[in-house]
Amino acid sequence: MRTRQKQILAAMRGTLCVLASAATVQGYAFNMIVPDVRQPLAISGGSACPVKAHHPTTPGYLAFRWSTSLGTAPTSILTQDQTPTGRLNEIEQIIQQSLAAWTNVGGTALNPSWLAPLARVATQNACGSDGMNSICFDQPDMGFTPGVLAFTRVIVADRIGIQVGAGPAATELGQILDADIYFNPSDIFVTFATPQVLAANPKSYDLESLLTHELGHALGFSHSNVWSAMMFPFAPTPGTFAGLRPTMQQPDAPLSDDDRTGLRVLYHDPNDSTYIGSIQGRIVPANPLSLPAAPLGVTGIFLSHVVAVDSTTGAVVAGSLGGWSCQAPGPAQFDGSYEIDGLAIGRSYKIYAEPLNGAAGPATVTNAYLSLCRNSTTDPGWPPLQGCVVPSPDLEFTVRTLP
Amino acid sequence: MTHEIKENMKTNLTYEQRRNFLLIVFLIGVVLIAIVAQATTLVRLTFPELVKNSSAIAHVRCLGSQAVFENGEIWTDTSLEVLESNKGNLPAIVVVRQPGGKLAHLESRVDGTPQFRVGEELYLFLEGQPGGRFFLVGWSQGTFRVRRNPRTGLTTVTQDSAEIPAYDQQSREFTKTGVKDMRLDSFREQLRREMLRQVP
Repeated sequence: MRTRQKQILAAMRGTLCVLASAATVQGYAFNMIVPDVRQPLAISGGSACPVKAHHPTTPGYLAFRWSTSLGTAPTSILTQDQTPTGRLNEIEQIIQQSLAAWTNVGGTALNPSWLAPLARVATQNACGSDGMNSICFDQPDMGFTPGVLAFTRVIVADRIGIQVGAGPAATELGQILDADIYFNPSDIFVTFATPQVLAANPKSYDLESLLTHELGHALGFSHSNVWSAMMFPFAPTPGTFAGLRPTMQQPDAPLSDDDRTGLRVLYHDPNDSTYIGSIQGRIVPANPLSLPAAPLGVTGIFLSHVVAVDSTTGAVVAGSLGGWSCQAPGPAQFDGSYEIDGLAIGRSYKIYAEPLNGAAGPATVTNAYLSLCRNSTTDPGWPPLQGCVVPSPDLEFTVRTLP
Repeated sequence: MTHEIKENMKTNLTYEQRRNFLLIVFLIGVVLIAIVAQATTLVRLTFPELVKNSSAIAHVRCLGSQAVFENGEIWTDTSLEVLESNKGNLPAIVVVRQPGGKLAHLESRVDGTPQFRVGEELYLFLEGQPGGRFFLVGWSQGTFRVRRNPRTGLTTVTQDSAEIPAYDQQSREFTKTGVKDMRLDSFREQLRREMLRQVP
């Protein structure tokens, strides 16, 4: 967790509730990486605390390109316009809208000026570890097996100065160096439709929903378990779409509050004065003997899910994966800590905790929690004092409020 | 602000209490789904579809993983000892490849790929050819973890995607059809029956 002073606001009353429906509502998570502390301080930061994978927020920094190579046998992308040029324009419009959903969220450092112009490339196999962020609709990949619609590869370095392909060298810890989005081009039973033709193709998947989700991964998100979240790990059924369609007035309409809060945490706007609220605490067992004996040092519930609900509207605002904290020089301590940041001030929130065994379990966020630790077994030569072992998620606890 | 939540890990509910609780949670879940109007299904593979799409199915034990760089990408190859081959001809040790992995100072992340721990036992539904590498069918859907409860001694099987609700467009209902905490012998029997059913 960050070491900066937390802003705890009096207006933000953390009221613990145990809701019957809690098991189905969980929230955002990020991909993390532990810097290589064996490297000199200047390029490793000297701390074994996990950092969030992210892009620098320099204007014009983030560049995406997309491959105009589209599969024909089978045709996987369905468009209304059937002319060669019109087809590409229609797809590109969807890509632009999907990007705009993430760059038009208030209270984040991301805004449209952060994006470089979307580029086209004719190469079929444009996706690869080359330092270029690419979107590919017609690139076969060994990763595609039955049941896999699309996925995103995100490459992060564990120290400053590392470069991938022709991309820029990392200047920040946790910097994403390459993010490629692959759509399954070769399953004859899978097609993706633009919003214009989705209704006419009820067996197709909504291209915009899937692309917006994958772009979330490209920005550093792991999965969310909030049903309405764009980062929920499973696509809407064929013929339907996630959230709302974007409009000129609300380009971020496809996102949920959970997505927006996550984005504000990941790409905090230092000038924002609204979404600066933070709630933090610990989830600990009534009986310490119920904690796992191994690994040593576990003093709280690991991987509980703590959710903030707006007291007035009842809407789920955000959630976070709890169970650990970290202060330089690390490593992570599994003390049951949680923290929900990016909350609007001047509002009241109810907080509840739940085991991560709802609509999706720990398997959907393995990258987010298994990467919290490094040690001399996984990394020979790792300093023992900065090593740790991630405990197994605690999925069986029950909760009740203090009297 | 610190909340200390008392928890009771040793609550033992009767079967009837558990059934009633699950029914209530399910009904609330259905209502929630209706409210958010968000259908939530992946390319859901049913158990018969998993069996059909797999060229090999095996009970395995994880021996270890290593990252490799091939075809311009980082992959993770996991070596698994085959304890029992249920479908297909598998060698004593099978290698399962997944996208992503950690190599030198780079880490390639692909969300949704199952991670395996050394010594862990699993049933895996695989696609591939003998002599070559194998891939997980449906990633989390083709991953079934075998767990032994030290308190009860019971061995159960849970699918990584067990909690994913599937939407049936014909009945317009959500159901969870994944395998969760199924007794090992029951799982093996279900697998055996499905394979027999699919014999041409």
